[in-house]
Amino acid sequence: MNTKKPRPNFAHPTEEAFAKILDYYGIEWEYEPRSFSLQWDENHQVIEAFTPDFYLPQQDLYVELTTLKPKLAHYKNRKLRRLKELYPEVNIKLFKRREMQKLLIKFGLDQEAEKIQGDQAREG
Amino acid sequence: MDDARKAYGSMGKDIQDILIPAETLQKRIADLGRQISLDYLGLNPLVVGVLKGVLFFMADLLRNITIPMEMDFIAVSSYSAEARDQGYVRMVKDLETPIHGRHVLFLEDVIDTGLTLNYILQNLRARQPASLEVCVLFNKPEHRLIDIPLKYKGFDLPDQFVVGYGLDYREKYRNLPFIGVLNAEVLKR
Repeated sequence: MNTKKPRPNFAHPTEEAFAKILDYYGIEWEYEPRSFSLQWDENHQVIEAFTPDFYLPQQDLYVELTTLKPKLAHYKNRKLRRLKELYPEVNIKLFKRREMQKLLIKFGLDQEAEKIQGDQAREG
Repeated sequence: MDDARKAYGSMGKDIQDILIPAETLQKRIADLGRQISLDYLGLNPLVVGVLKGVLFFMADLLRNITIPMEMDFIAVSSYSAEARDQGYVRMVKDLETPIHGRHVLFLEDVIDTGLTLNYILQNLRARQPASLEVCVLFNKPEHRLIDIPLKYKGFDLPDQFVVGYGLDYREKYRNLPFIGVLNAEVLKR
């Protein structure tokens, strides 16, 4: 469990709620441990990358959470598709906005679920 | 509204659609019971259910198992505010039966993320049963975080908020005999 590790500075409260759920069930996790290069310029400099929110080492699984409305999530979805093309060996699971809401409600976190509704939704 | 929902009054009105009728549930459970009876013939399995949601499934499944068997229950803390303060999941009701060397079939009503089931299976494996398999009635694979082999499976469920036959929303609707999709308005109350 990560209870004795220093907590990272999470970019969004939803990520912190997710980390607490993993801690509760004793699942090891790392926060944003790796960036995947997605696009390079003619000088081989990376001009686009993607950093999944979590990595679960025991499951060898990356997890990306998003609280963006579907029409705003287009850019992130494109990045994920590109990542799967370039790194087919990488297991990654995306929790979309509605899925995150359901997940939080399932774990009794109704207030946190409400926070990702409406205009307050932003990049997570 | 159909008769199945009408019979359950205000709870029936909260159901948008019936996803799996009671008859379909019972038919699939009978099939599972037959298969388990064949696979565990002569092994005197211990069937373990996790409270509370498994209650209806377990009662119906066991009546379709036609070989000698034993049963037991466990319960684990849910992710409630009180439990969160304690920081980790814990067993709130343990097995009464020792399982060392026994053939254990673990029953679960629904598997979603796999977090709870993973915790329970790790706990049970540490007691060194002769075998440990999982039988789940409802599988929701979209949110799976922990990959767990399911030897027996009833139905795959779509990513919708469903209730009934043991599945609840805020502890209600467990007693519906079918699986229904909850009205979106109910989630906003």
